[in-house]
Amino acid sequence: MTIGGIDLFIVVAYLIAIPIFGFYFKRYVKTEEDYFLAGRMLPWWVISMSIIGTNIGAYDYMGAAGGAYRFGVAQANYEWIGAVPAMILSALLFVPYYWKAGVYTVPEFLGRRYNLAVRIIQALLWGLFLACVLGVFFWAAGLMLNEYLGIPIWVSLLLTAVIVGVYTITGGLAAVAMTDVVQLLVMFIGGVALTVLGLWTVGGWEGLVASIAPTHPNHFKLFLPLDDPTIPWLGMILGLAFVLSPAWWCCHQAIIQRTLGARSEWDAKAGMLFAAFPKMFIPVLVVLPGLLALSMNPNLTGPEMDRAFPWLIRNLLPAGLAGLVFAAFMAALISSVDSTLNSAATVWTRDIYQRFFVKNASDQHYLKVGRILTLVFVLWAIAFAPVTKQFPGIYVAMQSLLSIFQGPTFAITLLGIGWSRATQWGGLIGLLAGVAISSTLYFAAGMSFLYVAWWSFVGALIVNILVSLMTKPEPTSKLEGLVYGLVMKNGEIQEILSDRAEGGE
Amino acid sequence: MGDWLAGLPLWWGKVIAVLFFLVIAIWAWRRPRSYIYKGAPDNHGWRDLRVWASVLMAIQILIYMTL
Repeated sequence: MTIGGIDLFIVVAYLIAIPIFGFYFKRYVKTEEDYFLAGRMLPWWVISMSIIGTNIGAYDYMGAAGGAYRFGVAQANYEWIGAVPAMILSALLFVPYYWKAGVYTVPEFLGRRYNLAVRIIQALLWGLFLACVLGVFFWAAGLMLNEYLGIPIWVSLLLTAVIVGVYTITGGLAAVAMTDVVQLLVMFIGGVALTVLGLWTVGGWEGLVASIAPTHPNHFKLFLPLDDPTIPWLGMILGLAFVLSPAWWCCHQAIIQRTLGARSEWDAKAGMLFAAFPKMFIPVLVVLPGLLALSMNPNLTGPEMDRAFPWLIRNLLPAGLAGLVFAAFMAALISSVDSTLNSAATVWTRDIYQRFFVKNASDQHYLKVGRILTLVFVLWAIAFAPVTKQFPGIYVAMQSLLSIFQGPTFAITLLGIGWSRATQWGGLIGLLAGVAISSTLYFAAGMSFLYVAWWSFVGALIVNILVSLMTKPEPTSKLEGLVYGLVMKNGEIQEILSDRAEGGE
Repeated sequence: MGDWLAGLPLWWGKVIAVLFFLVIAIWAWRRPRSYIYKGAPDNHGWRDLRVWASVLMAIQILIYMTL
């Protein structure tokens, strides 16, 4: 299906406007800090909208709508209990310490708190993960442009590269964050339009319930029984709410990087916290469409259920709205691509290049390297995108790889910030033990990833505590500003760290 | 343990979820005021992030008690 007329005009106007708007912010980039952290000038409202723009991708539209088609409103747990409490935890415990430490990346923070080995493991994990998902995102964008604009796939890939590359390479985080603000507005306008029209078509909420509930009695329950093979309520609480969600919101480089660019500690905290408000409305954009598709067409089966969202666009929207919703879909995708691109370049520049290849070079040198690496990742994504077609499970594989590390990573980060007695060896061995536990449970025992996350978190936590108690405590001078109690009790340290963070490093 | 878990009724999930939200809200309120306002340009009431956190948790409790 290709679009034309007014729809085509809306989409083309959007695709032209975004890079032009983003390119404008090039003028503010003079240093490495400007490029990777937006010169630490971002206000809280930009941070919050950029966080949600980064968080919600086209895969969320497809996956969440498909999940809602299969499981009902239980899918919304990923946006509610599986996000909002963790965002509060992140805002009020983790973010202030990252920001005050003056770091550019989460691995850099963990390297300071524990040791170089922890930093390397985390940097390689994030570096590889972000680079691989870029290829997947590019392929998704290429496919969408190919399907809806009717242009060849290789042209679609190049077009995506130009649209995103123009402002991400030149403007860095400032351009990415500011365009994310616009993209989030487009996402909400398009998403709400789709949902309102859909609800009107099926006779409102009552009509929706009346058409689904008789055949799918669990579709309007937030928690599913314990014998549910995919999202049992206990797994949602233990695995998702207690581990995976905090791991995502407290330790994900692309999410946290926005708060590191905040103009003050308060803006960093408020940016993360305020993001929870739009986050609570995301089910309206991605879960309700899945239920609407089920109400209108209950005959989708198997993998077809993941096409619930495109089915709705094709069969529900009139001229004009189809273009708007397609633009919203593209906005979700592009706002995730640009953030991933920027964060991948940050990790590879700061944690790999700057740490192992060229130390103590000039600020301009690292700015140049950052831009070159961003361009390299754009080219890599174009080359890697078609490979993802040959291996359709690659995105799931990358997510699985990340989930294996998430429980242990959250455990050592939590102890690192919350417990001054945690030592470098406790952190390293706890991380490795947690990964060993999750790999065994996931690959050998075939356990649900929700329970794998929980047990690997518990395992890493226990090992970290035991090893820490058996090894020599870290000197206070190393922990100042990185551990909760130390900063709270010492005003002078707080001031020094704030000055350090404001001045960059 | 597996059998014991399998016997847990569905409403336990809602009780645990609501308790979880309450714990987060109480934890947020236990952060010192100076810590919450650190870096803020002024001390206006709307900048109190503990209030934001409480509103978020109140909405979550409402949702989980309703659905």
